[in-house]
Amino acid sequence: MNEPKKLIDTPSQTAGPFLHIGCTPRITGINIFKSELGLTPFQDISDNEAINIKGKIYDGNNEPIIDAMIETWQCDADGNYSSNQGFARIVTDFKTGEYHLKTIRPGNEINTDGSLSASYITFWIVARGMNRPLITRMYFLENDLKNDLILKSIKIEDRLNTLIPYTEDNKNFIFNIYLQGKKETIFFEF
Amino acid sequence: MIKKHQPLRKFRDYKSSISRSPNKEPLWINSSSSEMSGPLFSKKIINKNDNDLTLNFSKIGEKPLGQEIFVHGFVKDENGNNLKNVLIEIWQANAGGKYRHQNDPSNIKLDENFGGCGRFITSSDGYYIFKTIEPGAYPYPNRGTEWRPRHIHFSLFGSMFLQRLITQMYFEGDPLIKSCPMVNSIPDINARKLLIGRLDLSKTENEKILGYRFDITLRGKEQTFFENKREGL
Repeated sequence: MNEPKKLIDTPSQTAGPFLHIGCTPRITGINIFKSELGLTPFQDISDNEAINIKGKIYDGNNEPIIDAMIETWQCDADGNYSSNQGFARIVTDFKTGEYHLKTIRPGNEINTDGSLSASYITFWIVARGMNRPLITRMYFLENDLKNDLILKSIKIEDRLNTLIPYTEDNKNFIFNIYLQGKKETIFFEF
Repeated sequence: MIKKHQPLRKFRDYKSSISRSPNKEPLWINSSSSEMSGPLFSKKIINKNDNDLTLNFSKIGEKPLGQEIFVHGFVKDENGNNLKNVLIEIWQANAGGKYRHQNDPSNIKLDENFGGCGRFITSSDGYYIFKTIEPGAYPYPNRGTEWRPRHIHFSLFGSMFLQRLITQMYFEGDPLIKSCPMVNSIPDINARKLLIGRLDLSKTENEKILGYRFDITLRGKEQTFFENKREGL
């Protein structure tokens, strides 16, 4: 009650259907900046360490969203976050709605109690119709998840699989995101 | 329960928000290093004219159509500290209300001297400035055809991902603001005013460029609850 007076953080507004002009301008044919941001999360990803994540974001009508931007954020293979790598910016395809992220598998972040957290990639999603960003995470192993300090205390077991991609080879992953319905993805708030 | 100065994800009057928002409540968790860290962008990625939209796309010696304006202000954290090294990206329609985008169905003409995007990184005192032209209002399908108030999109990177913000600046006095469902998705009426760039006559140049002042506040590590305590934790 006696906390110092704080400023109200500026409200979010939708990025709208034309976010590409400002965020990925080359897609719209605007080539005026030195570089596009987040073209790759890590420099020089070798074939050996590369993983590919593909998927679509489905709206409440089960239609893929064709005008979304996803920013991904992850640690390196050793579990360390660094301000000069780990960030990617990808958009969904105007026709198919598919996104594609080529990255490396993140390591395990160290929790405050010294234990290792499950490895994951943060997905930050904006689009027309989203007044605020939606934040979710893609985790890699179901076993990891059950021991995750944050998640194990929460009764969401029946929805945990919405955070886990499909893979046959641990190199290529399908991670679809569902905004509504039976498979509705878990979204986080911090 | 999300704070009332941030918009509702699902807002009946904004039609596309209905199918593009989750039905279930979000899962509240404590921030970990992934939220408390974030990318940092060097001033080296910025060209000299990136923040001048009247120059950064136009042919030499030519200018885009429209009223030239400055949009400037400070980026602060919730304690009022000015934030340096914040990357700001903006994008907007041209003076006729047309975006340089293949998916914009409007048959208004593109302006060959206007791209509609800019970048800037805040200085050591948290200050930013853009020079641009006043964007036009434009119609869009919602509940029938409605009109968007004139606006500029803003994207900001603070020092951690938690502070990541995309928003819009509206123009003081625009009569379309009042009926805009995107603005009205913010329950707290006073917070809606935080999105309005104020006419700033002190910021003019050559007696032909109008100024607008738009300060932006990024959140801190904890969600600040002004109206409601969050439920369920």
